[in-house]
Formats: sequence, C-alpha cells, structure tokens
Amino acid sequence: MSEVNGMDERLKETLSAMMDDEADELSVRRLLAHSDPEALRSHWHRWQQIRSLMHDEVPQVLPGDMAQKVRASIQGSLAASAEVASESSLPERGWRLLRWRGSAAATVALALLLGFGAGVGWQVSPVAEHGGELAVHADAAPLVADVPEIPLQGLDDQQWEHLSRYLLEHAQHNSVAAGRGSVGYARVVSVSSASR
Amino acid sequence: MRAFRSLCLLLSALLLAPWAWAAESPAELTAEEWLRKLGPALNTTSYRGVFVYTRGDQVNAMHIVHRYRNGEVQERLVPQDGESGEILRKGNRVTCILPEHGRFHLDAVIPSGPFAEAFSSQFVPVSRWYQATLLEPGRVAGHKAAVVELNARDPHRYSYRIWLEKNTGLLIKSDVREGGDGRVLERFQFTSLEITNDLHDSEFEIQGSGKTVEHTLGGGPWSSSTRHLEGWRLGWRPEGFMPAATPRTRASGQAVAFSDGLASFSIFVEAFSGTEMPTGASRIGATTAYMRMGQVDTQRYLVTVVGEIPPATARKVADSVEVIDALKLFGRGSHD
Repeated sequence: MSEVNGMDERLKETLSAMMDDEADELSVRRLLAHSDPEALRSHWHRWQQIRSLMHDEVPQVLPGDMAQKVRASIQGSLAASAEVASESSLPERGWRLLRWRGSAAATVALALLLGFGAGVGWQVSPVAEHGGELAVHADAAPLVADVPEIPLQGLDDQQWEHLSRYLLEHAQHNSVAAGRGSVGYARVVSVSSASR
Repeated sequence: MRAFRSLCLLLSALLLAPWAWAAESPAELTAEEWLRKLGPALNTTSYRGVFVYTRGDQVNAMHIVHRYRNGEVQERLVPQDGESGEILRKGNRVTCILPEHGRFHLDAVIPSGPFAEAFSSQFVPVSRWYQATLLEPGRVAGHKAAVVELNARDPHRYSYRIWLEKNTGLLIKSDVREGGDGRVLERFQFTSLEITNDLHDSEFEIQGSGKTVEHTLGGGPWSSSTRHLEGWRLGWRPEGFMPAATPRTRASGQAVAFSDGLASFSIFVEAFSGTEMPTGASRIGATTAYMRMGQVDTQRYLVTVVGEIPPATARKVADSVEVIDALKLFGRGSHD
C-alpha cells in the first residue's frame, strides 16, 4: 500500500470518481500529469479487483485455488482501501459499471499512460494473470468482463505457430462460410504477414 | 410509374438470374434489398482495383481483378506489400504462388470450399440477428455507395457497416464494429476501383514465379461423410449460427465452422500436441482466438475457437465443448 500512501489524496479521489464515472476533466488532466504511472496502475487494478469481487466477477476460468488466492490476497487491500473508499463515498456510489462520460481524449491519453490499451471506454484487461496479480476487465460490456486476454506478444514461437495455424484455417473457413472471398483472402494474407 | 418500376424490380429479383441484379441501379432500395444484392454482386461484377484490409495494427493492400465469365468466377489477387505471392482462382481451381520466405505455408490456406456461392441465400435471415438500417449515401474510392448499418441484436456478435457500390451492389467497404461505442475493429476498403468488363485474359494468368500449389475446390477433406461431430458435442452456440462448413477430419481431432451469414467462427478440438497453450483470448482486430486445455481420462486436448465474434462469445462456445469419446475423436495416434 506504499504507493497508495504516497499518492496525493486528490488523485485518489479522482481515481475513485472515475470508477464511478464522475470525474471532471480538470481532475483527469491532473491525473495525467502524475509522475508515477506505476502507482496509478497498481491502485487502479486493486480497486478493480475489489469492485469485481464485490460483484462476483472473478473469472470463472481461473482454477478454484487461484480464485481463492486472489480473494485472500485482496482481503488486505479491501481493508486497507476502506479508508479511501470511505473518503470517496465509493460504497454509496455502488461501484456501478464504469461508463466514461468525460473527455474521450483524456481517457484515451490516460489509458495509454497506464498501458491499458483502452478505447473510449475502459478496458483494463491487458493481462489476466501476471506476476501473481489478477487484472479484471472493467469494460461496460458485461460479456467481456471475465475473459482473460492473451497478448500475442506473450506467446513463444511455438505457441504463435500453433495459434497462427488456427487463424489461417479459420480464414479459410471464413471464405467458405461467409462467402466473402476477398475479405477471406485478405484475412489470410493479414495473418500470414502478422508480426508480433 | 414508380409503382410499376418497383414491380419490375421485384420481378427481376424473383425471376432473373443473379447476375441480372447488376444491371439495375435503383435509387430507392431498402436496406434489406441492398443486402440481397450483395451476394450476387460479389460474384458477378467485373472489376479491378486495390483494396486495403486493416485489423488491429496490421494493414494489408491487395490488387484484385475479378470477372464472371461463362458461369464461373475468375479472380486474381496479388498482395501489394510484404512477401510476394499470388492467388488465382478460376471456377473451382485455385492456384497459389507461394512466397519464398513466408512465415507460414500457404498451401495450408488454399480455400477448400464453394465460398461465394452460399452467400446470397444466407443473407435472408441476417435481419433476424442484425437490425439493418439504410444510412445516408457515401462515397468510396470515387464511387457513390449505399451505406447499410447492421447492428447486432444481441451481445454475442459484432455489428457491421457496409458500403455497396450504387450501380452494382458490389461491396466496396466494410467495417466490423464493437457494440457500445461502435469502435471499428476491422476495415476492408477499396482505395481504387474500376468496374469494367474490359479485362484482358492476361490479367488472369499467373505472372510470378515460385512454388505453385494447385487445388480444386469442393473436394478434399471437406466431405459430407464427416458431417457429424464425432466423439464430442457442442453445448452452446449463439442463435443463428448454423454449420457453414462440414467438419474436417484431422489427424487428431476435428474442426467445424459456423456462420450467421455475416460472422463466422471455427471450432478446433485437437489432442494435445506437446505445445502448452495458455487459457484465454487473443484478439487481432475483429478476430478472437480463445483457447483452453481440457482432459478426458488421460487424454489432454486443446479447444480453440477462432472467429469474428466477441471474446466472451468465443469463450462461452469453447467452454461448452465436451469431449465424450477421446478415442473416436483423437484416434490412437494422439499423445498426451
């Protein structure tokens, strides 16, 4: 929790407001200027975990013991975050699913800053399980909420070769199934030339 | 007079051969009528041009010449960047010139089915799964276009926006869009296009050199005798996705494809090959590949769902795969 303690209270307030879709643009800009994106990322992830657990959004694909570990590991975070949550009235706000109404550009900029690969909406899900830490989707689309993402860059050569074969064969099926000859071919070529 | 013209159009829709669609250029078609033109137009319009295909951070350009002659489609595609290569199709015969240093073996990607023919009939039920809306006309590569938006009616599929050339109905641009904010995941678009019947035979000849692979569509591993899933069952798939290609018998497993007329996905169930794969979804533009390992008795296997569907849909499909007879599915040659 050191990074949380070291973070300006106003920034924490802004983060929590963003969780509830209530941050104003000025606050977001202040957040963008923060010098420690790692701390922001860590803090954001932790709150996402808490929020997700409160909504039972732990990915079902996780083995049971992993889910338990995650729950156990963030109990401390939950307790430690109680103070912050209290300050920002998070429980009262109900941890609603995030829908960003603020400046789209600022949101994207922040997403890039945090390394989240987000669009206009938040998609905090680059890695499902990394270094023992669980990242959970915060996308407004409920169906994306619990699908761990495997970055192509994370695959070794053998795995990529394996996956690419399926991509190619699907592209071939696609030509057959949807009848989109040219698009199907384009997908084939696109897969063939894909670089990770 | 207008009613008479509409009647004529309706009659032409019902009576004339598909390629007759291309001759009409009505201005007041509905979204559904434009969709019906799309399938035949893909086959029967003659043109040359360059299209760009973008998904994720990948951009590929291809030169294409296409014509419909003596009842058969002739088409030649040449990638404009990356490795050289050519794909030539004349009716059911497909010839590929392979790049010398391709990362993948192109002989694995030769289309093996009657691809465009099934398209037109599949567009009728599309409106059950997508809300079709005609938008303001657009312009692509110098051509006026009708713009049709197809919004998915459920969260199991993506939405589309397609641009159809006004006179022929040829698909000249298409976007695959994610629900909600409508973010474009994949785009296919002509950057130059000449719709013409003045295409020379020489444009439909292989011009490059290199290893040549020929293939005849409709035969090979796609066989009606393997139409049923053998040794496994699929517990769930989104409504409207019908078997679109017969299961393919593999050395140690099966593959099957489904389509709702616009989107498609493939399911691969294979014995563990020795390559450990992580569980989860990878995305390239609109394409999702969801993988998970499974085990029945002592046999480990890999389920992979690849398609232009949201990750959650791919995952739900993959999770519903149940292997019930490993021996029948994987054969004796598999290893665990």
